[in-house]
Amino acid sequence: MIPVESEASSKDGVKIIYVAKENILQFLKEKKDEGFDYLLMITGIDYKDHLEVVYHLLSSKSGERLVVKAKTDGEIDSVTSLWKGANWHERETWDLLGIKFNGHPNLKRILLAEGWVGHPLRKDYPMDKKQYVNLKEDGDDTVSFEKKEGY
Amino acid sequence: MSDNILVTTLDEALRWGTGKSLWPFTFGLACCALEMMSAMGSDYDWARFGSDVFRDSPRHSDLMIVSGTVTKKMAPRIRRLYDQMAFPKFVISMGACASAGGPYVRGYSVVDGVDQVVPVDVYIYGCPPRPESLIKALKLLQDRIADGKVKH
Amino acid sequence: MQDKIVEVNFGPQHPSTHGVLRVKVKLDGEVIVDAQPVIGYLHRNAEKLSEMGYYPKAQIYVDRLDYAAALNMELGFVLSAEKLMDIQVPDRALWIRMMMVELNRIASHFIWLGTHGLDMGMLSPFFYCFREREKVFRILDEITGSRLLYNYFAIGGVYSDVTPKSLEMIKTWLSDFDKNLTEIENIFKKSYIYVARTRGTGKLSLDDTISYGVTGPMLRAAGKKWDLRKNRPYLHYDQINFDVPSQQAGDVYARMLVRIEEMHQSARIVAQVLEKLPAGDFYNKKYSKPMLVRIKATGESYIPTESPKGEFGIYLVGDGSAIPYRFRIRSPSFANLSAAPAMLIGYKIADMTATLSSMDPVFGEVDR
Repeated sequence: MIPVESEASSKDGVKIIYVAKENILQFLKEKKDEGFDYLLMITGIDYKDHLEVVYHLLSSKSGERLVVKAKTDGEIDSVTSLWKGANWHERETWDLLGIKFNGHPNLKRILLAEGWVGHPLRKDYPMDKKQYVNLKEDGDDTVSFEKKEGY
Repeated sequence: MSDNILVTTLDEALRWGTGKSLWPFTFGLACCALEMMSAMGSDYDWARFGSDVFRDSPRHSDLMIVSGTVTKKMAPRIRRLYDQMAFPKFVISMGACASAGGPYVRGYSVVDGVDQVVPVDVYIYGCPPRPESLIKALKLLQDRIADGKVKH
Repeated sequence: MQDKIVEVNFGPQHPSTHGVLRVKVKLDGEVIVDAQPVIGYLHRNAEKLSEMGYYPKAQIYVDRLDYAAALNMELGFVLSAEKLMDIQVPDRALWIRMMMVELNRIASHFIWLGTHGLDMGMLSPFFYCFREREKVFRILDEITGSRLLYNYFAIGGVYSDVTPKSLEMIKTWLSDFDKNLTEIENIFKKSYIYVARTRGTGKLSLDDTISYGVTGPMLRAAGKKWDLRKNRPYLHYDQINFDVPSQQAGDVYARMLVRIEEMHQSARIVAQVLEKLPAGDFYNKKYSKPMLVRIKATGESYIPTESPKGEFGIYLVGDGSAIPYRFRIRSPSFANLSAAPAMLIGYKIADMTATLSSMDPVFGEVDR
């Protein structure tokens, strides 16, 4: 059994479990074996002094839901070995929040153009600093801070 | 050339013909694309106004309807599609997003207006504009083509 | 053998991508050996912008997520926000919401059905579907004042009451809805070419479906009777009789059957709501709109709802201020589309448009 750091409850009555980030892969594997077969989403929250990774689980047999959270400073183990759907969710979390998933097969930006500077959903992302995207001949994107080099 | 009465009349006839046989490009970006499809659908049927079939290739079409938010990742692709269209070519900017960024203008990845990417002939307001607005824009564009006042 | 592999770029502009999807496909002859969807061409920072304004302001971005079913998106948001702020909703508003959501589901499935027909090379269903969809839109227009993006649900109720005229319109529309839908349905079912092209195409097994987090009609077409309206009832779905359609095959044809049956069931729900619609307030009088921007909230909430594409909900985290601290959208199309490689690899390139359109991706929601 993986130790649980603390427990809480969300306003809609779903249990929230905090786990140490080293144990996250093992803990989610246990939960998956217990019947939580659905990984609905992976997301992150930027609390300025630390980041939090949030996993929403669902058991399609009992209909039970569970939220698992882990505090991190920017790195955590990938759960792509447990759920195939975790692949895109982790890429998105990396793209928008800059949380690195160790062991992810293809951790690249998914929504923004490759080469974008910064992670926009971080609270300290500079919204006034515009970036401009253009297209190379082979179809890949280029990103620059110069207005004349893109759109 | 314009002194020659025969050529000017021919030119006028050509412009009249161009306006009445616009071939729009099947190019949906976001929400407005659904209203564009409604305009093409049974109730509004904008084929009545001489803009008949939506073409699937930019090389077959001469009217680009930018229907939706232009993101930074998409903008260079829109430019490339525009460049691939054959002359004469016209652009309708449909809705608030394509015209000026709309509700997303404060965001980090949205171009504030498609006119920074391609030259626009007619802008339509609304979020999304109703199909009637699109038909009005089409009529407006036809008038402008007949007057020779288009950018391309 | 290696040099026989051809790489083809599909999109981001293609008539059958329903928006701005790009797929990098590797072909061995006509067979797809690798397919990687590239998304993000409609990423319009809905999450960031929602985290920059008051709670009610986020609703316009929510509206524009799945623009084919804007009311279903709004429902996910208002339910989550009401739970976070502990706001009670009058009974009449709940019933109105339920009716509107089902009407919008029908409109959304009509768009899907029409464009799916186009992708399969059938032009006429498009016109039939848009004829029927306009009838729904006339009702929605009468009630909300808008055709596509409504901004109609408010935190604590709905913005305007349904009028007797609109209820009359719904009754007239319901009287021949099933007949008209069956007519369209038969175009698909009786077309030999359509059936031949879709049976056995784009199969996704139930295990893969669950592993990819796929929900909604695609899950039901793969053999699982799972509908949040039944399994975790919100609003008043527990007081309504309706069936959850499901199929075993998990292919494009099964998805078509499931969606069409869902439309019949939605009409059934609308008819029952009309009978049960109670009198009373349509919004919580304690919270007028200027009040709402002052409500501070703490904690977190996530209320899942069954949108036309699958499980949709908004994960809200409040930090005690009037602005959401974290606003995460659980979008069904995003998860559904991530399963695309599993559905495409091994099939012919000509099946690709069928499979992609059967997923019903809406890019406002995939890219957010």
